[in-house]
Amino acid sequence: MKIDRRSFLSLAAGVAAGTALTPLPLKLTDDLSIWTQTFRYMPNEVPVPPDGAVSVATSVCSLCPGGCGISVRKIDNRAVKIEGRQGYPVNNGGICTLGLAGLQLLYGPWRVQEPLKKKEGGFEKISWDQALSEISGRLNDLRRNGKSPSVAAITGAGQNTTGRLLQRFLTVFGSPHFIRIPAVDDSLAFAAGRMLGTAGVPAFDFENSSYVLSFGSGLLDGWGSPVRMFQAHSRWKENGATLVQVEARLSNTAAKADVWVPVKPGTEATLALGLAHVIVRDGLHDPAIEAAGKAFDAFRELLKSRYAPGAVARQTGVEEPKIEKLARDFARSPRPVAVCGKGAGQDPVESLEAMAVLALNALAGGFNRSGGVRINAAPDYIHWPEPEGSAAQKSNGTRLDVHRLPELINGGAQPPVQALFVMEANPLFTLHGAPALAGAVDKIPLVVSLSSYMDETAAAADYVLPVHAYLERYEDVLITAGLKEPLVGLSRPVVKPKFGSRHAGDVLIDLARAMGDDVAAAFPWENFEDCLKQTMADKWDVLSDQGYLAETGPEIPAGGMNFAALVESAELQPPGQGENGAWPLTLIPYDSMRLWGGHIGTPPFVLKTVADTVLKQADVFVEVNPVTAERYHLADGRPAFLETPAGKARVRVHVTDGIAPDVIAMPRGLGHAAYDDYLAEKGVNINALIGPVEDPVSGLDVAWGVKAKLTTA
Amino acid sequence: MDTTDDKCKCDAGEAAGGEETGVSKVSQDKGLLAVILAFLAGLGIALAVGWVVYPALLYSEQEQPVQFNHELHMAEVPDGCESCHFFREDGTFSGVPTLDQCRDCHESAIGESEEELKFVEEYMEKDQEVPWLIYSRQPDCVFFSHAAHVLKAGMSCEACHGPIGESTSLKTYQENRITGYSRDIWGEDLTGIFKKNPWDSMKMDDCARCHDKETGSKGACFQCHK
Amino acid sequence: MSNHGKKYGMLIDLDKCTGCGSCMVACMAENNVPFKKDESNKLVSITWMRVYRLTNGKPFPDTEICYLPRPCMQCEGEHGHSPCVSVCPAVATDYDFSTGIVSQIPTRCFGCRYCMAACPYHARYFNWYDPIWPKGMKESLSPHVSPRMRGVVEKCTFCFHRYQQAMEKAYYESREELEENEYQTACTQACPAGAIIFGDLNNPDHTVTRVVGPDDAHGGRPKNPAVFRLLERLGTNPKVYYTSTREWVRRQADNDAARGENAGRH
Repeated sequence: MKIDRRSFLSLAAGVAAGTALTPLPLKLTDDLSIWTQTFRYMPNEVPVPPDGAVSVATSVCSLCPGGCGISVRKIDNRAVKIEGRQGYPVNNGGICTLGLAGLQLLYGPWRVQEPLKKKEGGFEKISWDQALSEISGRLNDLRRNGKSPSVAAITGAGQNTTGRLLQRFLTVFGSPHFIRIPAVDDSLAFAAGRMLGTAGVPAFDFENSSYVLSFGSGLLDGWGSPVRMFQAHSRWKENGATLVQVEARLSNTAAKADVWVPVKPGTEATLALGLAHVIVRDGLHDPAIEAAGKAFDAFRELLKSRYAPGAVARQTGVEEPKIEKLARDFARSPRPVAVCGKGAGQDPVESLEAMAVLALNALAGGFNRSGGVRINAAPDYIHWPEPEGSAAQKSNGTRLDVHRLPELINGGAQPPVQALFVMEANPLFTLHGAPALAGAVDKIPLVVSLSSYMDETAAAADYVLPVHAYLERYEDVLITAGLKEPLVGLSRPVVKPKFGSRHAGDVLIDLARAMGDDVAAAFPWENFEDCLKQTMADKWDVLSDQGYLAETGPEIPAGGMNFAALVESAELQPPGQGENGAWPLTLIPYDSMRLWGGHIGTPPFVLKTVADTVLKQADVFVEVNPVTAERYHLADGRPAFLETPAGKARVRVHVTDGIAPDVIAMPRGLGHAAYDDYLAEKGVNINALIGPVEDPVSGLDVAWGVKAKLTTA
Repeated sequence: MDTTDDKCKCDAGEAAGGEETGVSKVSQDKGLLAVILAFLAGLGIALAVGWVVYPALLYSEQEQPVQFNHELHMAEVPDGCESCHFFREDGTFSGVPTLDQCRDCHESAIGESEEELKFVEEYMEKDQEVPWLIYSRQPDCVFFSHAAHVLKAGMSCEACHGPIGESTSLKTYQENRITGYSRDIWGEDLTGIFKKNPWDSMKMDDCARCHDKETGSKGACFQCHK
Repeated sequence: MSNHGKKYGMLIDLDKCTGCGSCMVACMAENNVPFKKDESNKLVSITWMRVYRLTNGKPFPDTEICYLPRPCMQCEGEHGHSPCVSVCPAVATDYDFSTGIVSQIPTRCFGCRYCMAACPYHARYFNWYDPIWPKGMKESLSPHVSPRMRGVVEKCTFCFHRYQQAMEKAYYESREELEENEYQTACTQACPAGAIIFGDLNNPDHTVTRVVGPDDAHGGRPKNPAVFRLLERLGTNPKVYYTSTREWVRRQADNDAARGENAGRH
């Protein structure tokens, strides 16, 4: 039978009719529509997260000095969400941007996964045994050649068990160069030490204060323990307390303040003493302070001669009547408190500023009073036997200051530092004069980084030893940052270690063991967990059950404040940076909860919250007052060159009324060279544009603002 | 054979005498027959494709990694289905048991069955979860609350899953090659009209129909979606 | 309409809000929100919860800033006739009378974006790109919220999955009612300033209801004069309320209708 046109059509009709009588059309349509929804034809399939049993693990966040309690929600063995822990004394359920995005730091591909050794043009993977034997071999060589003091360690971990293990390692090895990254607490402790003769850190009872006078402290921009500060702020709103922010820029803190006092950057101490002048002049101060204090008359004389409102107004740019009013409001408020520490409090401040603030608090009778200041002794719970043998005696000599490293290393033919350990710190990014420091570190023959992430310092190291991320390890977290009472929190493993990392404490114990002799003998512990449990001894059970230990020390009286220290500091005050034609502007860094400038880089979720007036593609914006913009022909959104004595960078201009004329501001936390694809190569690291400025009294690096100029690109 | 040549001949015949109409009729009948045959052939082919070939092609078949006898286990456990498929304290449903649940009894083999031996050797001893193929797994965007149906509405397991507890083996798992979902969602019956039991299919329409009947409303999207 | 139903709403205290952005990050982490290498083009950056920065427009030093967090307003409109729901041709978004929450079903959406045009609050986001999680990061995805594909619209759901979870727990404990704290959105829970209050506006015992005093006769308009809603005069009847002591903030929220100005405009 031949198929003619008619039968062909008939066949087709038959097929059509038949098909209509089958489930095929409907089913195929339905399946295809579902198929389009699954996107399985795309190279990037939409993931389907596996379900499982929900559980919650509690720990303590150690990403910033805040030390919040966290609850981590898990699905089977995966951590899927971090929340603030209800009832935890620091944060009671609240949590910040960084804490919330912590899982991106845990699961992100930028983790260092196994030990790395630098080779030509990159790193090679090596085993732990090889890494530890090579490093211990080189350390032993140094030791044999009598160069023990040429080993240094930089850490942000501070005084917890891991930090102390590193310190002990250096001590028994014979080096005094255990360097903590300094912060505002160091300035405050220094000032308190000089004025009160105590060893302790001033802490502020913000919650109960009626009048908070902040000299540029970013109380709501990440200062101290950020969540605690937000909660304190909400209490001020409920209680009708007043917040006064002295700052050239309309930061979030200034925006939430009841009074914003724009001041010329660097004149905070002058303003504080100007207020003290008015208070003392009008007899508004606590008479007990005058009676018990030492050298109060010299102080009065200093205020009288140098800090009269007229002079202070000229220097600070704050009008005279405003100074008078601020002083009176502060002194007459029932429970006032004054605080300093710029931005998030990452940097030390001038000694004079810290002392002036302590003096203001003393004048207001604020020591050991509700809503005032108290001096907290650092929790003292680590009691290890003194190391025995020859090693212990060798550790003498003066400690290096980290900001002096470039000058020391570049100065001599034989660099004084032959080996450098870096742990829980990223000095090549976070410290002022970062490029100079990078150049100096490059000259150190052996640099070992104990890091979870491939940060700038790790990238420059000869060995990178991957340590457990914060959710994978035990750690006693010493929380002193601006807390009313210090606390020891317990960070504990929430998930199993994902990669071939080790606990930093274990690395140190293993390294000590590999070194042999008295070094090994000083580290008798099986492993870090064993060390921590032995260290905590009978406190371990409470710490473990409760998640924290309250370690309130004895109250330190402040009656006998010695004002002589302040008067001396005023004499030694670094020369004011006068007007300079070549550098007409002052560049100040700013901190924010949406960009983290510390050793932990900003995770993708947090970077996503950054406004497009702060970061646009790879360009960072510099905030410029309209008056300044007009004077230097700068247009909003346009590129410009920013130059300081330390360096030059290409930026964009953001014209805003939220900054004083002649002051320009740039965020901290951008300009990463290393780290991950999301964060690297965006913006400019402001620490590369600011050189260190040494305080003549404390010797700490107190740089904040820097002279600058801005020209159209 | 109906060809153009034949047609030409017919036309020629008609033109020549006109009495050969019978030939023409036969030829026409033949043509009609061919058309009908063609239609039937098309119909037949389409029906065969639609009912037999397509379903066979549409689903890939997979056996479960280990065979499982529900009936046998039901006789041993204290609380019926919920002995193994239980609610967690947060109200979520545990679904298919994990190794930990099996471990109490099957740490080592307790029976003679080959399948049990396989289970113990390949999964229990290696501490590796069995990659069960789940017949009733809904798409990722679906939120199905066992608690709402079982605890609140008081429905029995059988009401939706059928008499699974009486089965002695696990059937072949069929996966839709296009969508990636189990055949049990759309149901064995591809037409979707011969549904006898609730467990025959579990598409959104099935949910909506029952909700409409039982609660008076199909419910808002978020009732079952996430 | 919904006498027995719940009606979840939120109150945000703009005086307490410090603009820290924790609500935004909490939302992203809770809801599997994707992220890209460059998120500085805010037109294509997905942030269900977004903190806006308002200024009073005055020159230095009288400039003031107020931060305003903006989730989906879950508009009730006229009996569920919210702007987005009424334009969706795919029924991918609807109004749930049992909770007062506006749903968004990504798998149903075909990406026409009418809803985005209709939403006066810019609370809806289109997925212009494939959601890609870097290697290893998929481990942190939550199974309680399904990730969205390219080409669909997504938005804040008031963490509806948390409601579902809370209800499951309630059923397990033979309850039908939820305690106030059992269902809280991720942003409410995370806010370090405690600036967000969340609860059932139909339940007079819930804090949000006590503070706001929603007037059911007028689409939930707040009886508390200190409380206002955004673009009140559009009649979208949102269930997200704000409070601020600053007059200029209230004016920027377009609070005219609530104060009797522009009366008659709807």
